[in-house]
Amino acid sequence: MTPGKKRLNYSYYPGCSLHASGREYDISTRALFKALNVGLKEVPDWFCCGATPAHNVDELLSLSLCAKNLSLAEQVEGDLAVACAACFSRLKTTQHHLKEDEEKRKQVETAIAGPAALDKPVKHILEILAREFGLSKLEESVKKPLLGLKVASYYGCLLTRPPEVPELDDCEDPSIMEDILRALGAEPVKWSHRMECCGANFTLSRPGVVLKLSNAILESARLAGADCIMVACPLCHGNLDIRQKEIKDAYGAPDSTLFGNIFGSELQQGAPKDQRDLPVFYITQLAALAMGVPSGNLGFESVITDPKPLLREKQLL
Amino acid sequence: MSRIGVFVCHCGENISRTVDVEQVARAAGKISGVAYACDYKYMCSDPGQNLLKKAVSEHKLDGVVVAACSPRMHEKTFRKAASAAGLNPYLCDMANIREHCSWVHEDKKLATSKASDIVKLMVERVKKGKSLAPITVPVTKRALVIGGGIAGIQAALDIADAGHQVVLVEREPSIGGHMAQLSETFPTLDCSQCIMTPKMVDVANHPNITLHTFSEVEKVEGYIGNFQVTLKHKARSVNESKCTGCGICMTKCPKKKIPNEFDQGHGLRTAIYVPFPQAVPNTPVIDRENCTMFQSGKCGVCAKVCGPGAVDYQQEDRFSVEAVGAVVVATGFKLYSIDRKPEDSPIQGYGEFGYGAIPDVIDGMTFERLASASGPTGGKILRPSDGKEPKQVVFIQCVGSRAREKGISYCSKVCCMYTAKHTMLYHHKVHDGQAYVFFMDARTPGKGYDEFWRRAVEEEEAVYIRGMVSRLYQKGEKIVVMGSDIQVGVQVEIEADLVVLATAVQAQDGADQLAQKLGISYDKYNFYSEAHAKLKPVECATAGIYLAGACQGPKDIPDTVSQASAAAAKVMTLFSKDQLERDPVVAKVNEKYCVGCLACKKVCPYGAVEEKEIRDRQGNLVKVVAYVNPGVCGGCGTCQATCPSKSVELDGYTDEQIMAMIESL
Ligand code: SF4
Ligand code: SF4
Repeated sequence: MTPGKKRLNYSYYPGCSLHASGREYDISTRALFKALNVGLKEVPDWFCCGATPAHNVDELLSLSLCAKNLSLAEQVEGDLAVACAACFSRLKTTQHHLKEDEEKRKQVETAIAGPAALDKPVKHILEILAREFGLSKLEESVKKPLLGLKVASYYGCLLTRPPEVPELDDCEDPSIMEDILRALGAEPVKWSHRMECCGANFTLSRPGVVLKLSNAILESARLAGADCIMVACPLCHGNLDIRQKEIKDAYGAPDSTLFGNIFGSELQQGAPKDQRDLPVFYITQLAALAMGVPSGNLGFESVITDPKPLLREKQLL
Repeated sequence: MSRIGVFVCHCGENISRTVDVEQVARAAGKISGVAYACDYKYMCSDPGQNLLKKAVSEHKLDGVVVAACSPRMHEKTFRKAASAAGLNPYLCDMANIREHCSWVHEDKKLATSKASDIVKLMVERVKKGKSLAPITVPVTKRALVIGGGIAGIQAALDIADAGHQVVLVEREPSIGGHMAQLSETFPTLDCSQCIMTPKMVDVANHPNITLHTFSEVEKVEGYIGNFQVTLKHKARSVNESKCTGCGICMTKCPKKKIPNEFDQGHGLRTAIYVPFPQAVPNTPVIDRENCTMFQSGKCGVCAKVCGPGAVDYQQEDRFSVEAVGAVVVATGFKLYSIDRKPEDSPIQGYGEFGYGAIPDVIDGMTFERLASASGPTGGKILRPSDGKEPKQVVFIQCVGSRAREKGISYCSKVCCMYTAKHTMLYHHKVHDGQAYVFFMDARTPGKGYDEFWRRAVEEEEAVYIRGMVSRLYQKGEKIVVMGSDIQVGVQVEIEADLVVLATAVQAQDGADQLAQKLGISYDKYNFYSEAHAKLKPVECATAGIYLAGACQGPKDIPDTVSQASAAAAKVMTLFSKDQLERDPVVAKVNEKYCVGCLACKKVCPYGAVEEKEIRDRQGNLVKVVAYVNPGVCGGCGTCQATCPSKSVELDGYTDEQIMAMIESL
């Protein structure tokens, strides 16, 4: 620790994905923060923020769930660190919304029987790593640079949008993930589908849609020469990692189009399709790996698309 | 004892619907000093004016109040009528009972009593009014035209042809502006250069026109009829009087790979250059930032090869002062750039269209250069990335225009037409190619315009898709354009070879600074404001300054040329008199009381207040006082409200008059 500078400390809202399907994200986040000597203290008694289902059904419920979590977070010192893009989006949206709508705020505060903690700073871990911990310090802390690893950073649709809510980065052309990757020694690839939606929570109700959208994302990452994809959201991870086999079955060669083209056959048919598996990493997994955290502690065994062959090939294991 | 006449107007029903005009007239008749009061349906009409004239002579009136609309509308009308009846026009005033009363109130009773009060105020003011005589100022019959595009050229030629001297200033090395960059023009498809270059030559050769290219307006002083304009002549590094335009310097210059601005960065030029071969004047300039001689002191090739010895590396910026009577502003427009947005810009970027990072996504002006015979591809449509002929071209309209949430709410007016033209030019040159246009609606008001657009759609096979593009991205050699067709209700995806964005028309860089120098107003988009949208579309609120072309708002060539000629006509009207009459409602300083604090000088928005030294007979300085230049004073009264010693007053609005008005209530 640099003398005179206070150690960074955060309260931590994992959200339920990180305690279930996205356990690797939680494990690696804790491991990374430990390696960086940044404090992380879980908010006591937190519960699900409702993510996407709640606000589709009942706005007041959705706002109240988040407001309650925010007020619980007040019990822990430090800005609130959030890893899941959906939780992050909901918490920030709630703050934004209630600040603008006095009426709603009163309703919500009645529902949660207390103030809504609208000023508790909510930070995504990308912000924490790139801005608060800082890129140069991050670069200095690297023990095992991710040399030669070509990574497609996938922002998905929630992290930067709508721009006035997350205020994370340029909403059409963000660079925060690429900046972090560069600091870690990896090689971010230029690709087209960084901001596209993967279908997110249609994963159960309209799997066909998810397959289409996720296929386009994987295809575009492969086209750009990526070895793997990096995400900051357990939903994106789910769709891109778990569904790769299904996508291959549905969208094997020949090539197909995303939405179909009403003007007929501009697209070439029959080109053999690149079907490489693309491991999908959480940002914290890659960062922790670079910080020298043993790979056994990063949850690599619990993902579907095995990343180990790739990591071995790049001599990162 | 005054004899005031009060005339209450119905304004059709505009006033009488909410104000009992007869009652107002009756009440006015009872005010002391009012000798005559009546009401009439339309005071501004011929019978209305006659009523006024007749009453003035029959009742020997020495003052008139017309209670009607706003003085902006008809003060002149009634003052003229009063003066025809032998009254001093400045003893005729208006009580605004329309905008200030009937239009803004509903309760007839209350509105009527308010109207009566307004009339009372004005009667008191007129009672204390004085006869004023118009101020006359001499007119310098020489005009300054700022901007050498088609607007400036047309205005300059018209004024010069009428026999007056014109000074034309252009900040670029050549005149011609954007029109010289265009390929063919709608709706006739005649070649832009063919109609533009002869006019450029006419300007250069006209005996009445002095042309200053590579020059800018530095400072503007004075007022209508009497402006002093300081021009900055930027150092060309080539002596204009010696240069013969042979061009040998350009062929020998070793710096050959500088992107040519005239070709939107797609062609190349040397460090000593003329923007394009048909440039007027044909004298090169040295681009000092890119010249090896200026950067490292080595080279000097152009000076060596120049026969007449015209190259002059020592040349410095020069200044000159021009006396002119009128100014025509014709500074034109620029296109919204698809690059990343500048830090301080209120306009959001268009990241979804690649921020200008995809080479085959170009703007409309770049397409013009590709299609132009004088352009970097010699008129062949070839895409910038690899020089291949694009077989699928997607045009996207309204990029930046009509997008309130992104920062520009206005329509850029010309893009529907030029995109239709682009599809035609493309179809004429690439027979097996297909053009697609994403549009919101086609706006084609203008003679022959709709027919032209229909031709693009119906005969020239452009596929128009109503809907916007959400984003586009590079996929190998192609650009995938994702949009929607809202008429069919489907998502559309096109793999294009070239994408052309019809980006918004914006005000020129520095338009706001120039406006501040000229003292004219501009809107939030930096377009210059006309004095009245309908009735004074070429005048500025500042007298003696006129607008032409796209500096006022997006405009096509026919509109620009019409407005330029209109501005020229206004200038000629001004020049038709030797002396100019100005409204005498100006501030006057009482030198006896003025303490010379010059607070008025600080607040005067017109810069009309000067310092004046008072000396005794021996020539010793007694004191410094304020002096208001009546030629410049706008009659706003700010100084009067500011002056701590009450020594400056506006004629027609003296303290005495204003006190009388207040007391009458
Ligand atoms: S060589 Fe000299 S005379 Fe010829 S164009 Fe260049 S500067 Fe002018
Ligand atoms: S009346 Fe207005 S314009 Fe005239 S001198 Fe005073 S402040 Fe300036």
